[in-house]
Amino acid sequence: MSEVQRRKYSQEEKNAIFDGEFMPHIDSMYNFGYRLTFDEDDAKDLVQDTYLKAYRFINSFEQGTNAKAWLFRILKNSFINEYRKKSKQPTKVDYQEVETYYNSDDVHYQSTSDLRAESVKDMLGDEISNALNSLAVDFRTVIILCDLEGFTYEEMAKILDIPIGTVRSRLHRARNLLKEKLQGYAHNMGYNTDEEEE
Amino acid sequence: MNDYPSGERKKQCSDESKCFELLESILDGDLKDSGKEILKEKLAKCQPCFEHYHLEQAIRDVLKTKCTKHAVPTELADCIRQKIQDIK
Repeated sequence: MSEVQRRKYSQEEKNAIFDGEFMPHIDSMYNFGYRLTFDEDDAKDLVQDTYLKAYRFINSFEQGTNAKAWLFRILKNSFINEYRKKSKQPTKVDYQEVETYYNSDDVHYQSTSDLRAESVKDMLGDEISNALNSLAVDFRTVIILCDLEGFTYEEMAKILDIPIGTVRSRLHRARNLLKEKLQGYAHNMGYNTDEEEE
Repeated sequence: MNDYPSGERKKQCSDESKCFELLESILDGDLKDSGKEILKEKLAKCQPCFEHYHLEQAIRDVLKTKCTKHAVPTELADCIRQKIQDIK
């Protein structure tokens, strides 16, 4: 925890914060954990670990600030520092390498696909979920935080410890990658193309 | 947003990169009130901006509404509370 200890809460205050401000986010936390690891047990461990850390460092949580963002930051750090280290699975992409290449904050925004809004609206939940899940974890993460959990750029910057400009450019790139996947599905379904059959 | 037939919009955007970045910021809620007026004008006058906005909006909508949600295992909250009790 890098936060400065602000004050000491009484036991009653701790309980009230934990029950009133932390526990209501367990659903979002579990889904975040699951979407990072694709494993129920790992997601449970991450959430449990996050809540225990949150309790242990509760004095560094400032009441009235965004508890959900604070918890998400702890979970994200646990995932990076512990889960990823433990995990022997080969990582698909080393994001740091990718980042220096793609992620200058000065992204050129352009139309990268001929995917149509109508095709996207007709897609099934499984297709959307699969497309999201196929993205490298750092791209997946920004989409989860922004689109599924509704965090602002500023909150995401704090959760991920990156500048807002990087949040914006990473999101843009993540959505372009997502569009490429969705375009593949749309093509297979016969949308956006004159060919009715493959 | 469909008040303007596509025939009345310009076919090419003269500053696509800047416009698209702006539209995406508006969709993400990064520009609040000032965004609305800019948006109205862009969508009324420019076909590439109009299409980009609606595609980006559709993507955000399906992500928000259609992604599979996983139910939290029932024992997880109790398990956490128990562990907190143990360290109190």
